[in-house]
This record gives sequence, C-alpha cells and structure tokens, in this order.
Amino acid sequence: MVAFAFMFASIEDVIGRFAAQHYICHRTIATVVYLASRLRKPILVEGPAGVGKTELAKVLAGALDHELIRLQCYEGLDESKALYEWEYAKQLLYTQILKDKIGEVIAGAPGLKEAVERVARQDDVFFSERFIVPRPLLRAITSPTPVVLLIDEIDKADTEFEAFLLEVLSDFQVSVPELGTIKAKHVPLVVLTSNNAREMSDALKRRCLHLYIDFPDKEQERAIILLKVPGVAERLAQEVVDAVQALRKLDLKKTPSISETLDWTRALTLLNVATLDAALVDDTLSTLLKYEGDIRKAQAELREHVAKARAKASAAPAVAADKDVLH
Amino acid sequence: MDDTIIAFVALLRRNGVRVSFAESMDTFRALDLVGLGSRAGVKDVLRATLVKRAVDHPTYDHLFDLYFSGVGEIVKDAESRAMEGLDLDPAEYQRLLEDLARFLEAQGIGTSELTRALLRQDTARLERLLREASQRAGVQRIERTFQEGQFAQGLQQTLGVAEVARELQGISDALGAGDPDPRRRQMGRLVDRRLQDLQEMIRRMVRGELEQHDVGQRDAARMQQLAEKSFYYLSEDEIRRMKDAVTKLAQRLKNALAVKRRSARKGAFDVKDTLRKNLQYGGVPFKIRFDRRKRVKPQIVVLCDVSDSVRNVSRFMLQFVYSLQDLYAKVRSFVFVSDVGEITKLFEENEIHQAIDQAIRGNVINVYAHSDFGRAFRMFHREHLAAITRHTTVIVLGDARNNYNLPHEWVLKEIKQRAKRLIWLNPENRMTWGFGDSEMDRYQPYCDVVEECRNLRQLYRVVDRMVVG
Repeated sequence: MVAFAFMFASIEDVIGRFAAQHYICHRTIATVVYLASRLRKPILVEGPAGVGKTELAKVLAGALDHELIRLQCYEGLDESKALYEWEYAKQLLYTQILKDKIGEVIAGAPGLKEAVERVARQDDVFFSERFIVPRPLLRAITSPTPVVLLIDEIDKADTEFEAFLLEVLSDFQVSVPELGTIKAKHVPLVVLTSNNAREMSDALKRRCLHLYIDFPDKEQERAIILLKVPGVAERLAQEVVDAVQALRKLDLKKTPSISETLDWTRALTLLNVATLDAALVDDTLSTLLKYEGDIRKAQAELREHVAKARAKASAAPAVAADKDVLH
Repeated sequence: MDDTIIAFVALLRRNGVRVSFAESMDTFRALDLVGLGSRAGVKDVLRATLVKRAVDHPTYDHLFDLYFSGVGEIVKDAESRAMEGLDLDPAEYQRLLEDLARFLEAQGIGTSELTRALLRQDTARLERLLREASQRAGVQRIERTFQEGQFAQGLQQTLGVAEVARELQGISDALGAGDPDPRRRQMGRLVDRRLQDLQEMIRRMVRGELEQHDVGQRDAARMQQLAEKSFYYLSEDEIRRMKDAVTKLAQRLKNALAVKRRSARKGAFDVKDTLRKNLQYGGVPFKIRFDRRKRVKPQIVVLCDVSDSVRNVSRFMLQFVYSLQDLYAKVRSFVFVSDVGEITKLFEENEIHQAIDQAIRGNVINVYAHSDFGRAFRMFHREHLAAITRHTTVIVLGDARNNYNLPHEWVLKEIKQRAKRLIWLNPENRMTWGFGDSEMDRYQPYCDVVEECRNLRQLYRVVDRMVVG
C-alpha cells in the first residue's frame, strides 16, 4: 500500500487527501486530477484569477508527497531559462585552472594538428553534466523521485515556447546535443495554469486534460473560510460569503477572488467583528477590492445587502412584514 | 457505449467544438477508469477530455443534457403521463402492468419486442429501441423545422409503428371494449393510450435531434448576421448583443496581434552589447546579443461624430478602441456635433459602457445641434491641436454631412501634417459620398486612409489594420 502512495486509488481518495491538505475541492476537480494521475496526462487549468489554480498544483504535490518543481512563465522565457544552460563561466574557469594539465596532454605533440587532436579527445570532459545548469524542465525530467511540475501562467510565455513545451510534454525527453537524449525516469505530473491572456494552441490543449475552475458556490466558499481562517464566527463567515457572492454579480473591474475574501475575513476577525455593519464594511473594503471605482460601486450594493441581512437577523414579525414594503 | 460516445463526439463537432481523434481516445481510457456509475462523473470526464475551450462549455453542457438524458427523459415523461392519464400511483400502475402481462400470457398473445417494452414499462429497452431506430432512420441528419414531419414518419417506419398499432388493437379487442370487469376496462384504456404515447415519444425525439443540431449553429449564424448588419438599423436588443460581439472581436484581435508582434521581436546583431556582455568570459563571445526592436505603441486620437445619424457607429468604435486600450501608448478621444468635447477622462473614471453612454447622451456637448464639421474642426484646432504629435494616428469618424456649412478642410490638412496618419471612417455607403450635403470629397484628399465602415465586419478590418500599422 505504501508503495502506491504516489497514486490515487479513486476519486474519493483524491478528495480525502486534498482535504487533509486543507484544500476543499469539487468533485469535478477531483475527477480531473484522478484521471491525470492515472492517464499520466498534463492538466491545463483555466479560470479567473484567484480561484486557486496554482494552489491546486501545490496541494497535489503535497497529497502525493512529491517534490513540486515550478516554472513561472513570462514574456521572453526561452529554453535556456526553462530547460538547461551551459555554465560557460565555470567551463572557462576550469580551462584556466587546468592549463598545466592541458599543457601536459599536448606536450610532445609533433605538430599543431596532433595537439588539437589530443585536446579533442578530451572535450567531453567539458561538455558533461558537471557544467550544465538544470532549469525546472530538466530537473523535473531527471529527478530520481516522481515530481509534480507546475508550469504557471503559460499564457504569458511566447508561442514559440509553447511549441517547444509541446515537444517536452509529449515524450518527456529532451536532447542535449552534446550529451544525447535524456529520458524521464518518472513521468512527472504536469499542471499548467493559464489566466487566458491569450488562447492556447489547439495542439497543446489536445495533449492536456482541461479543467476550468470557477468561483466556488456559497456552500464551498463558506467551508473554505471556516477552514482557512481559524476563529472566525460562523455567522460572520456566512455574512461575508453572502456579501462577496453578491459582489461577484456586479460588473466590477476586478472581481474579488477567494484569497481576497480570506483577507477580508481575516481583517474582520482581527477587528473582533461578529457581524457586518455598514461603517465597518466601508472601512475594510479595501482589502477586498482594489479599484476606487469598484469600491464605490460596491459600497452602495453592500449597504443594501447589510440592511437586508440585518432585517433577516432580527426576525421580529413586524420587521418581517415590513420587508416586502422596503424592497 | 462506444458508439454512443462516438456519436456524441460527432455531435460536438457539428456544433463547432473541435475534438481530435486522440481526444476521443482519451475519453475511452478515462471512462474505463472512472466507470459509468454516475451521470455527473461521466459529464466531468467528457468535459475534461473533449472540451478544451471555456467558451465551449455552455454548448457542451446543453448538448450533453440533450443527448444523454434526451431519450431517457422522453421515455420517463411518457410513463408518468400515462400514470397521470389513468389516475394511478406508481405502485398501482406497476400492478396493472403485471396484470396485463399475465392476461397476455393466459391468452397466448405473442407480441413484438417494442410492444412488449411499451406494455411492461421496460424503459431501458424502450430507450435502446428508440435510439437504434433513430440512428438507422438517420434522424440526426435533420436540419430544418419543416423536416420534422418527414423524419418522424421515417422513424415510425423504422420502428414498425404500424405493426405495434395492429398488435395493440388486437390486445384491445381481446380485452373486450364493453367488458364489465373494471380491471379489464382499465387495461383496455392503458393499451389504447400506449400508441399515442409512442407517437408522442417519436415526435419529441425528432424535435430533440433538431435542437441538438441547432445549438451551435444558431449562435454562429446569429453572430454572422450581426456582423454584416448595418449599424444604422440596429434594434435595442441588437445593440446589447453587439456589445458582446465587439468585446469578443477585440479579444480575438488582441490574440492575433500578440502572435504577430512576437514574430517580429528579434532585431539585428548588436556588436556593442555583445562585447559588453561577454567581458565576463574574457571577451570570448559566448553570448550573442541582438537588438531588441523597440516597439513604438501607437498613440491614438479619436474624433467621433455623435450626431443622431452615426451615433451607433461611434459607440462601437469607442468600445473597440477602449477595449484595446492597452495596445496603445495613449488614447485620447473627442466627440463632436457642432461643438467638440474631450471624453478621455470619462473613460478613465467610468466603466467603458457607462462612459460611452454618457458621452453619447449629451453630458459633454450638445448632441441635438445640427452637425457642423467645419465648426467642430476649427474648435478642435484652437483647443486641442497639441494632442497630435508625429506618433499619433488620428481617426475621424463621421458621415461628413455638414448641413451646407463651411467645411474648413484646412484643419484636416494641418492635422495630417502633424500626425503620423489620418484615417477617416465613414459609416455611409461609398456610393453616396459627395452627394447632397456630404463634404466627403473635400475632406478625402487630406486623409491617408478613407474607409467605409458600415458594419462590424468592416469595423474589425479597419481596427486590425490600425493596430498593426
């Protein structure tokens, strides 16, 4: 059983192990993760910012007890930053230090031609793994233990890089001209995330399982808050979730993400708040929303929302009767 | 199951979801792992392996529901309607069916598979028979509403409904219409209505196929139609949909552009930088440096006519330009009718659509005046000429209908001299330029580009060229 710890036994197993890592996931997510681990296919995760795409990879690594190797993509990322690079400076340094030794090797050579020949016989010393700087992709492939490879924000990388990545992802082997082909000892579990700054090529998508993570529903978001913010009052958690879910329906420049919901809840908890009120909301809203225009828009909405919640809470019959008139 | 999945993949493809062969193979392997136990599970598996674009998710969800519960739902519906019609609860209904089966056995009446399935509430078998017949009859080929009758007929023949009708009639006769036994009468009523039920099921199946066919295509066709429609004749509803269409197009343009830009990224060999970078290797050129071609992002000044006649075009032009804002170094926008007013700030402070609404509704300038291009241009020259530098692309959007006022084309001449480019977009048909009070002929010589821009397709083309150039 221990030998198979790096594999998920079933979808339920995924959910269980993720929960142990404090990650609440929907069955859809668990299904895709399970399939990916069984089919050994990369997962392409898309969705709005801040729904836990990167977190998914981290948790996956934790759940399987694998090392997580992360490749952060950006515009201009190329092979030498992603795969490997020769360490020229070190090579040069070694040649300098070994000058005498090289002198010995070519000592007594009858002509220039022979001397070059002798040096050439030794050149694989300089193009050996000793002088290679492995970057994330090579590290993932050569790792002696199975790993989770996170390729973060692939949409930021150039299309040429995407094409190159495709090659690596399809056979999990790379060829270094001086060394030959290096094949993966363990096929790494690959998670690619994208914020949809541009559409990925069909070829890449074809090789991946696709997972779209959206904002969680009320029930889940509440569960996440209760899990991640220790000491939060149940009632506050509920109110926060209601408020945030209402805000997500507004047309905002930047919709509040889960991490921002958590920040807000933490702030409120620190302030020892048991229940939301209008003034408090005004003061703390900047942890949730990052644009002035959004904040102004949200304030109006939230005030109404808080009033509604208040009316519901003080469930006096008179108030309940008034409610319909008020709205 | 294999055939079912293959047919579903074909259905997805017909509706514009791209699915490769390799992907459908993945689906089979994945289904082997997960099993067919739960509907939601299968739905997740198919989505993860077949549908790779988030925009296709609604289409997929809809089709999945239609396809995988389609027939089952229809059969179950028919069943519950039969119960209702006979005024029985499920247990009673079940007992009635059992009695009927016993009766048939006692009478020694043999029936075809379909009839048996109908009379025994054998939903699984009924579903399979319907599905198979539908495939054999080629119902999935249906494309238009008026074909419904024709395909329903085909399906009836393939199923052998006539045969079923005869058998049912036979049973009904055997039961005896005027039989005093209430149980028998009840059975008779059941047998009589099953034929109708079957026909209703057939009708709904054909309708379902038609709907499946429609989902994707309807959207695509609607978009197409919208793109070709002249801005002059948009209804309120179409304006709303057009907004989405413009957003989508802008996004597409951005993607296309990202690729174009990147391919032109590397410049020529840079000697100075190469030497400097390689000092650390003792001057041996290990690392070759190239010029990073400097990207000069275009600056844009938009001048939009917002008089009644061209308001819609201005709206979408503004939306387009501002959706692409991050592609430009700077965007300044002005609206005019007979006065000119700057609206750049509106866009900084408000969300795009609100800003556009405010600009067009007359919060900035009087929009109910008569168009006077000459006056507006002179005013622009006096107050805002500094906005135009040699990096600026100026876009004027208007029909050049000047109400016989002075055209003051010298302003355009001066703008052209200062600016990088001057583009005039006219939402009128090219044939009508220069007739009546149109001053297009006077303005045209001073513009670098003059384009007709009557619908979304033309607008897209124009903006595409603008960004690249």
